[in-house]
Amino acid sequence: MSNILNVGVRALQANQAALSTAGHNIANSATVGYSRQVVKLATVEGQFTGGGFIGKGVEVAAVERVYDAYLTRQAALSKSVSAQDVARAEKLLQMEQLFGTGTTGLGAAVNEMLNAFSDVASAPTDLTARTVVLTRANETAKRFNDTATQLANLQRGLTEELENGIATVNTLVQGIAEVNRQIQSVQGLGQSPNDLLDRRDQLISEMNKYVQTTTLDNNDGTISVFVAQSQPVVLGTRALALKVASDPQEPTRSELRLVNGSAEVKLQDGMLGGGSLSGLMRFQNEDLAEAQNLLGRMAVSITTVVNDQHRLGLDLDGDPGADLFTPIQMADGVAFANNAGTAQIGLSVADASQLRATDYRVTFTATGYNVERLSDGSSAAVDAGPPPTVDGLALNFSGGAAAVGDSFLLRPYANAAASIQTLFASPRDLAVASPVQASMGTTNTGGLAVGKLAAGTLPVPANVVITFTSGTQYTRSDIPGSFTYSPGTPITHDGGTPPAWTLTLSGAPQPGDTLTVGAINPAYAPLDANNAKALLDLRDMQLFDGAPLSDGYAALIANVGVRAQSAEYAADVSKSIADGLEQQRAGVSGVNLDEEAAKLIQFQQAYQASAKMLQVAQSIFDALINTVTR
Amino acid sequence: MANTFTRLGTANTFDAARQTLQTRQSTLADLQAKLTEGKRVTRASDDPTSAAQAERAQTRIARITGEQRALEVQKSAIQLGESTLGDATALLQEFRDLLVQAGNGANSPTERETIAKQLVSLRDELVTLANRKDANGMPLFHGLGSTAAPFEVSADGTVPDPDYSFNGLPGQVGANDVAIPGTLDGRATWMDVPESNGVFKVGLGAGNRGQAYSDVGLVKDAALMGAQGTDFSVQFSVDATTGAASYTVTNNQPPATTAPALPYTPGQAITLGGLTVVVKGVPANGDTLELRPAAAADRPSVFGVLDRAIAGMFEPGSSTKGASSTSANFNHELAISLAQVDTSLERIGAVRGRAGDLLNRADRIHDTQEDRSVQAEGDRSRAEDMDMIQGLSDFQNQQTSYQVALQTYASIQKLSLFDFIR
Repeated sequence: MSNILNVGVRALQANQAALSTAGHNIANSATVGYSRQVVKLATVEGQFTGGGFIGKGVEVAAVERVYDAYLTRQAALSKSVSAQDVARAEKLLQMEQLFGTGTTGLGAAVNEMLNAFSDVASAPTDLTARTVVLTRANETAKRFNDTATQLANLQRGLTEELENGIATVNTLVQGIAEVNRQIQSVQGLGQSPNDLLDRRDQLISEMNKYVQTTTLDNNDGTISVFVAQSQPVVLGTRALALKVASDPQEPTRSELRLVNGSAEVKLQDGMLGGGSLSGLMRFQNEDLAEAQNLLGRMAVSITTVVNDQHRLGLDLDGDPGADLFTPIQMADGVAFANNAGTAQIGLSVADASQLRATDYRVTFTATGYNVERLSDGSSAAVDAGPPPTVDGLALNFSGGAAAVGDSFLLRPYANAAASIQTLFASPRDLAVASPVQASMGTTNTGGLAVGKLAAGTLPVPANVVITFTSGTQYTRSDIPGSFTYSPGTPITHDGGTPPAWTLTLSGAPQPGDTLTVGAINPAYAPLDANNAKALLDLRDMQLFDGAPLSDGYAALIANVGVRAQSAEYAADVSKSIADGLEQQRAGVSGVNLDEEAAKLIQFQQAYQASAKMLQVAQSIFDALINTVTR
Repeated sequence: MANTFTRLGTANTFDAARQTLQTRQSTLADLQAKLTEGKRVTRASDDPTSAAQAERAQTRIARITGEQRALEVQKSAIQLGESTLGDATALLQEFRDLLVQAGNGANSPTERETIAKQLVSLRDELVTLANRKDANGMPLFHGLGSTAAPFEVSADGTVPDPDYSFNGLPGQVGANDVAIPGTLDGRATWMDVPESNGVFKVGLGAGNRGQAYSDVGLVKDAALMGAQGTDFSVQFSVDATTGAASYTVTNNQPPATTAPALPYTPGQAITLGGLTVVVKGVPANGDTLELRPAAAADRPSVFGVLDRAIAGMFEPGSSTKGASSTSANFNHELAISLAQVDTSLERIGAVRGRAGDLLNRADRIHDTQEDRSVQAEGDRSRAEDMDMIQGLSDFQNQQTSYQVALQTYASIQKLSLFDFIR
């Protein structure tokens, strides 16, 4: 009888615990990171009697949280990758807005500026047409400046986001250390502190959204957390801090560091693995840098070739043309902090058509130096020169000697677009006349016509007379020998790179026809427009990895667009993977309200049955008492 | 542990359903924005290759527009040049008519002076025509380069010495597939008129006292001319008693040979090697005719031709006294001037024809450029414009699927076991 009473009481208690656990689950069904708890019931060992072991009822062995470590870890990792992709995709979509297409874009401004020279070629003395060119050139410079400023703002916003993110991570890290301490203190009690464990898992999952972590279980119940594969950020109950600092070789860019006492360790971008901070770092170091380089290269190439051609012309007063845009001053190479030597590297443009949109790293070895392109990691060949050139850039070494192992970071294009401006506003200073003239012989009988005549270098050399000996052969006064003539094939002045002038003829000459090429008669210069035509021809010059100048911007927006599109796709894919894994994890650990409702009914009935059992025990006792009282 | 393969967490299913709704809604909004703009590609990331194609097509269209504008300027300049040459032809015709009128033996020297004045004003007009500029201030006959007024006239309007010069570069700019030259070759039009008939010139001897004169002559036998040259002298002798005239022909090419004398009658043709000249008028004894090769250096300009014709109206050495009808010099100069004016007319006609060719070419270029522009616009449209029918049908689909998502969310999420527990 006392047994049945005990059994009943135990059953009541067990079912009550089960009911409150079910209630706890229902209450927390929407709590993020909550793992459902299940009451584990165990039978109490039977009492040995002569007739067999009589069971003693049920007791609550443990309240377990239903938890799959593998799925939880996978879900956290996939969320981390998804956060990285989403952060990068968002930033790329923002950056893409800066490179607009159509008539308000940079490409349209550059093309309009060059197209305006065609009106000047039709009317060289018309000051209005010249003013239009200058206005458009100014507009082009302003659009370059604006885009560069926007990119710089994007960088500043990114740094702020990094700082905010790091502040949150530091808070989370502190939280994890605190929970570790709490778990450690209750470790000895023998039961698992489910809610504390859930909270720690949730904190780690939150942190993974910012930066991917690796965890290591310690014997005392605490978890050590590492970022960037191997840098510890929580060791047991001790938390270290992360910080954002500016890159010593490139002060506008940021890098992440771990603060360990007085030492700071840089977190390598490639090792971060995942998380929104990793996405932002990747965007900064790859996509933003690429966009800045593409923009800067476009600015450098266009202003260099336009300036070079403009300087070859004569303005309305007969003076040689000056630079139309500010000549690009490229930043010197930045020496690595630990360089032992004292060498310095300056940069200038040697060949605008060979420029590539990338940063470079120069590393000195025992046999010289290597140049590596940072955009794709390939090695760039150095043309000995002098001066040594690589990808169209001339390297000007100065200062002392470099020691083996010294390295320099070269960023020639990063800030080029921000500083370009037009240098003059007077329309008379626009140099559209060419310093070279071509004059046909007065007794010519054939149908020769001049297609193009452009100067290549100054000063213009002495007159060269070309005499046609037949319809397909000619001789010239500067080089002996007979040459073949075909309409449209350029005839160049001998000597010099580029040659002093290039002439293209059309039509069929008769034997005896002559042509003289030499310096222009100053009286004819005001009405000459051959330099304007040469500036128009710049539109077809192959500048951007082989694409003509007028199509350079299209290639740029395609580059940025492809990056943004693939980042979007990556974000979609990783998001759906993360969602799938989270669904699986929730399938194990999440609360299902219908299930809890069913369990409520089940344990309610059991509770009622146990209560009934007590009632029966009561009535047995009553019966017994009634029997023995008189 | 219970089998969790088919188990779902409630909070998770709510989250997932909400996300689906958000995704559908944002797709719908994006599609709506695209439909409003009418573009399939609003950002480069929507379709990078199409965005780049559209940008390139835009560049081409802008470039063709600029080239068409320049072509219009060139075309109107050449049209003005062509009509200027038409005016010049009319002027030269008038000049020629006046010359013929002056040659009429019935006119008196005074009348010739009057005609000379008219000729002067025609010449001045012609110089103005040659220096004409187009609407942009470019001389029409600019050639490869020139000053603002290529045909120099002295500050006081008198004929410059030497002959008119073309202050410019001879030659022509070539046409290509997007442009024609905007100027004509001034030198080819107005300068270097062949002297006399272009091969040889006939001059009256300085001491001639008679009235014999010749025409410009022609080449009868080119091979013989090649053998015997174009350097001859003809000497007339008149028999003092009979008055019969005869002439001898001397070939001045070393060694100089003189043919035997032949009788002369006015109006006959005289043969000199491969050349013939028709001599009219009665010579005096000892009069000579000199034939020389026409030197390239002596080629006058059209204005020079006119000046020579004007000078021929007056007595030799005078610029005010008209010539008499029988003056050998007058008749000789008149013959030469008429021939040279004809040559000038041919010259100008040829350049006018070339201007006409250029205008035809300009029309063809214009049409080709129009086609190119249409094609570029088509490329751009294909790359970035939205096919409205496709877009609207997609929009309808998205709208329907959004509606379905909303309805299913509303109905399924309502189901719960708690509803059925009393």
